[in-house]
Formats: sequence, structure tokens, C-alpha cells
Amino acid sequence: MKIALIGQPNSGKSTIFNAVAGYKSVTSNLPGTTVEYMESRVRLNGAVYDLVDFPGTYSLSSTNEAEAEVGKYLLSQKFDLIINIIDASQLGRSLPLTLELIDLGIPMIVALNMMDEASRKGIEIEVDALSELLNMPVQTTVASKNLGVRDLFVNAKHVIEEGKKSIPGSIPCQKDVEEIICELEYEIKQNFAPKVVYPSRFLAIKLLEDDEYYQSILSHQNGHMLSDKVRVLQNKLVQLRGKPQDSVLVLERHAMAMDIYGKVVKIGHPHSDWREKLDHIVMHRMGGYFILITILLSFFYIIFEFGALLEGYLLTGFENLQQSLSGVLDQNSIWFYLVQSIVWGISGGIAIVLPYLVPFLIGLTILEDAGYLPRVAFLMDSFMHRIGLHGTSIIPAVLGYGCNVPAVMATRILPSRRDKIIAAVISSMIPCSARSVVIFGLVAFYLGPFWAFAIYLFNIVVISLTGKVLSWLMPEVSPGMILEIPPYRWPSSRVIFRKTWFRIKEFIMVAWPILILGSVVLGMLEYFQLDKLINQGLSPLTALLGLPAVVGTTLIFGVLRKELALIMLTQALGTTQILTVLSTNQVLVFTIFITFYIPCVATMAVLSRELNRSWMILVVMITLILAILFSFMFRVFGHLIL
Amino acid sequence: MKSLLDVSTQKSVKIVGISGGKGARRSLAQLGIGIGSVVKIKRNAPFAGPLLIENHGSSIAVGRGVAAKIMVEDI
Ligand SMILES: Nc1nc2c(ncn2[C@@H]2O[C@H](COP(=O)(O)OP(=O)(O)O)[C@@H](O)[C@H]2O)c(=O)[nH]1
Ligand SMILES: [Mg+2]
Repeated sequence: MKIALIGQPNSGKSTIFNAVAGYKSVTSNLPGTTVEYMESRVRLNGAVYDLVDFPGTYSLSSTNEAEAEVGKYLLSQKFDLIINIIDASQLGRSLPLTLELIDLGIPMIVALNMMDEASRKGIEIEVDALSELLNMPVQTTVASKNLGVRDLFVNAKHVIEEGKKSIPGSIPCQKDVEEIICELEYEIKQNFAPKVVYPSRFLAIKLLEDDEYYQSILSHQNGHMLSDKVRVLQNKLVQLRGKPQDSVLVLERHAMAMDIYGKVVKIGHPHSDWREKLDHIVMHRMGGYFILITILLSFFYIIFEFGALLEGYLLTGFENLQQSLSGVLDQNSIWFYLVQSIVWGISGGIAIVLPYLVPFLIGLTILEDAGYLPRVAFLMDSFMHRIGLHGTSIIPAVLGYGCNVPAVMATRILPSRRDKIIAAVISSMIPCSARSVVIFGLVAFYLGPFWAFAIYLFNIVVISLTGKVLSWLMPEVSPGMILEIPPYRWPSSRVIFRKTWFRIKEFIMVAWPILILGSVVLGMLEYFQLDKLINQGLSPLTALLGLPAVVGTTLIFGVLRKELALIMLTQALGTTQILTVLSTNQVLVFTIFITFYIPCVATMAVLSRELNRSWMILVVMITLILAILFSFMFRVFGHLIL
Repeated sequence: MKSLLDVSTQKSVKIVGISGGKGARRSLAQLGIGIGSVVKIKRNAPFAGPLLIENHGSSIAVGRGVAAKIMVEDI
């Protein structure tokens, strides 16, 4: 039994998914974060379901890549049930999608989520009347508090058991428009019925909307004879409503939605909304930037203070452990090398990575879920225009500070291919949490937080210039920002905890084993003295950058995971007292190189998937050149500023 | 005829036309904004930054380039 969770961005799909499937899908208070389809097998009320969390979509048209995918996926797989999740506080805006889904001929129920938000806004919904009008069960929920979710799935079970009987009937448009749709539907049925898998009414509407994807399917089937008919009917529609053909039906659905809305909603008294007032400051054209900078600075300092405190304590502890180890094992035996490198790997994870990663991820989760990022997009729109993009592109970029992989995927929210390419390249150059660990653990810890901050700023300057150059090479007018600004929501501690844990688990389960394994490989290379070979091979590079030859191997391993470079640095140098073997200038040069050079393998993979292989290779080349250039620059001029 | 850019803050206007590419028109339509919609301007700072408009209780940021293509009339 397959169930699809579908709804507009930010309606709480992932929250409902996670409530029943365990935390697997990243939730956040901004559009476009679920870009992959999360599927999970769940056992509920004695039945087993395959639950799929879809990316949020405003409609089933092919306006951008993410939305086009939803329609295709939904229709190509056989779903037994659609759970349409609606943000109750945005009912009017959400119903058009519901009306589209109804035409797919799949059993459906509605989850009316965010009931708490709705009542805060003074919106009262007559649930039974809504259910009656839509011909399907409607269940109210507050997913973030896990209310109503159980009942939702009890309902789901009933509906699935009823099977075909529970397919909701289409809701007709106004008579004049309905006649046009029926005429085209009839035409499709007559000529294409056996060949198209799509429900004919749905297809008729999409053709009338000029939807490229559905047009292309039919033209494969020799549908040219249809296109004349479509054109004639479109002209009729335009005459009837006086709106351009590409949006007339979309707006018609909105009118129908508002009609339903009017019938089931009573607006009472909204509770005083401090959030409106908050936006007056947060999005103010002067104060807004002040707040943005304050938030970023305090974010930065809290992570640093917290992380450095722990790193200091933990490193001394592990240093002692390393020393006592040499008392137990013979320093030249392979066992010593093996045990020692395992200890390096483990201690690196605990002492260097986690102290920064945990507060970093908690902070990022709060920023994401509170709904601050779309405000950042608003504030940064003018700046982004200067580098040839628009405000929306800042969202993937900011997500990049967590991890480049979801950041590159989030570029799907951009409708233009060119914007997507530039944003993806930029996002892969943002210092992700792994690179931040290197910046914090090395530069901030040994050189002071000011220098770490300077690296972030320098990175932003470089990224802006890269964006500028790319948009100069691809001159095309960016369509401009159209972005919904969601209300602020204070994320519940449960959500913060689970989301942070989800991301830390990723580090513990995936990255840490790689770190330990990497340490062991390095230990063995050292034992068999193979590291000398690699270091020798890389000596032109290390010599150019003025770094000791032993760091050569760490640069290679850094491509796997950026944290690896830091942990292996201590291992290769044989001490955690970095400053006894490296000068401050060398620390800076090393970090600059690690921050800029080649994105990690996971990012390379997602770049070739989202853009293509040539772009991926280009990014690798560009970043490598930039890294060498900048670190050489710092080597030569670093002493002037340090 | 005037565009959304010419409307001052806190005023509500009716959209009478959206010129330019169909991408923007469609993205707006999905948010329920199209010919005939009544929107309220929540923020319109001259020279700087996007506009913030309200439509059926949700806030939408609209870049100045897009706003220039949205033709409106007073109500
Ligand atoms: N107040 C409130 N917030 C909710 C509710 N359900 C989800 N949220 C929050 O709304 C935001 C968006 O949820 P998410 O599941 O990521 O939405 P998606 O984009 O549809 O997957 C998150 O910050 C959730 O914590 C609810 O019923 N009430
Ligand atoms: Mg989601």
C-alpha cells in the first residue's frame, strides 16, 4: 500500500512523515527544503504502508523543476492514497492544489494541519462542511505537537480499504469554463484513450494551461491534431475571462478555492500578532541589516566560545592518552601504529569535530525553523541582483553552511536553469559545517576568532565575485524574486532536538567511520613509509604553499570529508600542539586551502546529478585553482597582516 | 496605467495586467495573484529591495523587476 504526502511548501508534510516514520526527513520553515522523495515503510494500526514525503508544491504544473517532478512521480507510481496536507491558516491558498489532486482519480484525504496557527489568526473552519464540499474525509492535526496524526492514519486505513469507491468525484468549474474542459476531455478520450495513462480531465486542464511537460507527452503520441483544438479552446477561455491563457485556469481554480473558503470559514478575532511587529524591525531596510549582522556575529561567537572551551579540555585529555599508549606498546610495532591511529580517529571526532558541530547544527536548525532565512532572502535581494541573481538564490547558499549536498539540491526551487547553475556553483563553495570545523578548530582556536571570521568574509567576497563572473559569462535576465515569506514559528524543542540529532547521527554513522578508517589508512601508510611517496608527489604543491611536506597526504584525504584533513593534520604532524610545528601563517594557508579547494566527493556527486558532469569537473578545476591562488597569496602576504 | 512600484505602503490595489514572461505570471498565479486579485502593499521602500505584498493573509516578497511588470489600479 503506497501513500503519498502532498501539500504546499511549509504545510507540515515532513513533520507528519517524521511523526510516524521516525525522524528521516528534514523539516524547516522555508520553501523548498524537501527536494528528495523520502520513502519509508511504516507499520500503523496493524497495516504496513510505504509512505512517501513529497517536496512541497503549489500546484502540479511544471513551473519549476521541483514541481514538474511531483506530477510525474505521482502519476508514474501507483499510489493507493494521497494525504493532502493543508496549512489551515492558509486554507484559501492551499485549496487550488487540492482541486488539482482530485482530478487525478486517486483516493484522497485531507489533513488540516496547523490548526493552532489558524485559531491564533482567528480562523474558524467548519470541518464537516469542508469534507462535504470536497467529498473526502478531513482530519484536523497539529503535527508539531503530534495531535491528530494517529486519527489521520486511522482515516487513511478506512479510505484505502474502501478502494475505488473512495475516489473523490471532480468538482466542476463554472459552467462556461467547464464546457470547454469537457470538450477537450472528450477529444482526448476519443483519440488517445488507450495511449495515455493520465486521467483525461487532468490532462485536458494541463493542456489548456499550456503546460510544456504534458504537451510534450502528447506530441510524442502524435498529438499535433490536438494542438489546434487546444488553441481554439484556449482563445475561448481568454475571451471569457480576459486573462492570459497561461494563468487563466490557475486563477479559475483560485476563484473556486476562495468560493469554498468563503463557505467554510468564519473569521473571528485574531490574537494580537507580535510577529507582524517583529517584521517591521527584522525586515526594515536599515534595522534589518543590523539585526542580520548581530545574529550572524552572535551565532559565530557562541559556537566558537562553546567549541573552543570543550576542544581545549578534550584535546589535553586525549594527548595524555596518546602518551600513555607509548608506554604500553612498542613504538615501532604495527600494533602501535594501528591503535594509535584509531585513537586519533576517535579523539578527532570527539575533541575537534563534535564541540563545534553540535552548537552549529542547533543554531542552524533554529534559524531554519524559525523562518528567518526567507527574510534574509528579502534583505539580500538587491545585493544578489548585483551578482546577477535574485534573493531566492540566497536560500540554497545559506543551507550550504550546513552541508553543500542539500544546498545544491535546493537550487531546484529556482525556475531558471541559468540561475540554478550559478546558485549551485556558489553553494558548493560555501564553507559547510565540515569546513567550518576546520576553520573553528584550527584558525579560531590557534589564531583567534577574528581570523576565523575574516576567512568567512573573504569567502563571501570570493563567492560574490565568482557569481558576478558567471553571470557575466551567462548574460540572461534573471526573472526576479517571487517568494512567500512564512510566519515566524518558534521551533519546539522536540523538533530542534530531533533535527539536530538527525544531522549528528549522519556524522556519527557516516563521517566518523570514514575519519577513523582514514586515520588507520594514514597510520598504515606511515608504518610502511608509503606516505613519504605521496608527500613527495605533492611536494611541489606543499612547497609552493610553504607547508611542511607531511601535510600532503591530508590534502588528498580531505576530498573525502573535509574534517578528515584536520584530524589527519594532527596525526601527520604527530601532535595536537599545532603551533609547535606550524607557524600561524602556515595554519592560515592550510585552512584557506582546505576551505576553497575541491568540494568533497558527496558534493561532486550531487553537482554532476543536478547540473552535469562537465559542470562538476569545471567546479573542481575552478576551486582548485582558486585554492592554490589564495593560499599562495596568504603565504606571501600573510606575514604583513598577521 | 501604473505599476506596483508606484503604489505606496499600506494601500490596496487591484491587478489589471501582468506583462513579461509567462514564468513570473505563473509563479504569481500559483500564489493566487493574477488579474483581478486585490493585494495590499506592506512594504515598498523606494530605490531599495523587493516589495512585500499581502494576499489572502500570506506575505509574498516580489522583486522590483517583477513588480514593475504588474499593472494595477486603485480601488
Ligand atoms: N504551529 C505549528 N507548526 C507546525 C505544525 N506542523 C509543522 N509545523 C512547523 O512548520 C514548519 C514546516 O514544517 P515541515 O514539516 O518542514 O513542512 P513541509 O515543507 O511541508 O515538509 C516546521 O518548522 C514545523 O515545525 C503545526 O501543526 N503547528
Ligand atoms: Mg518537507
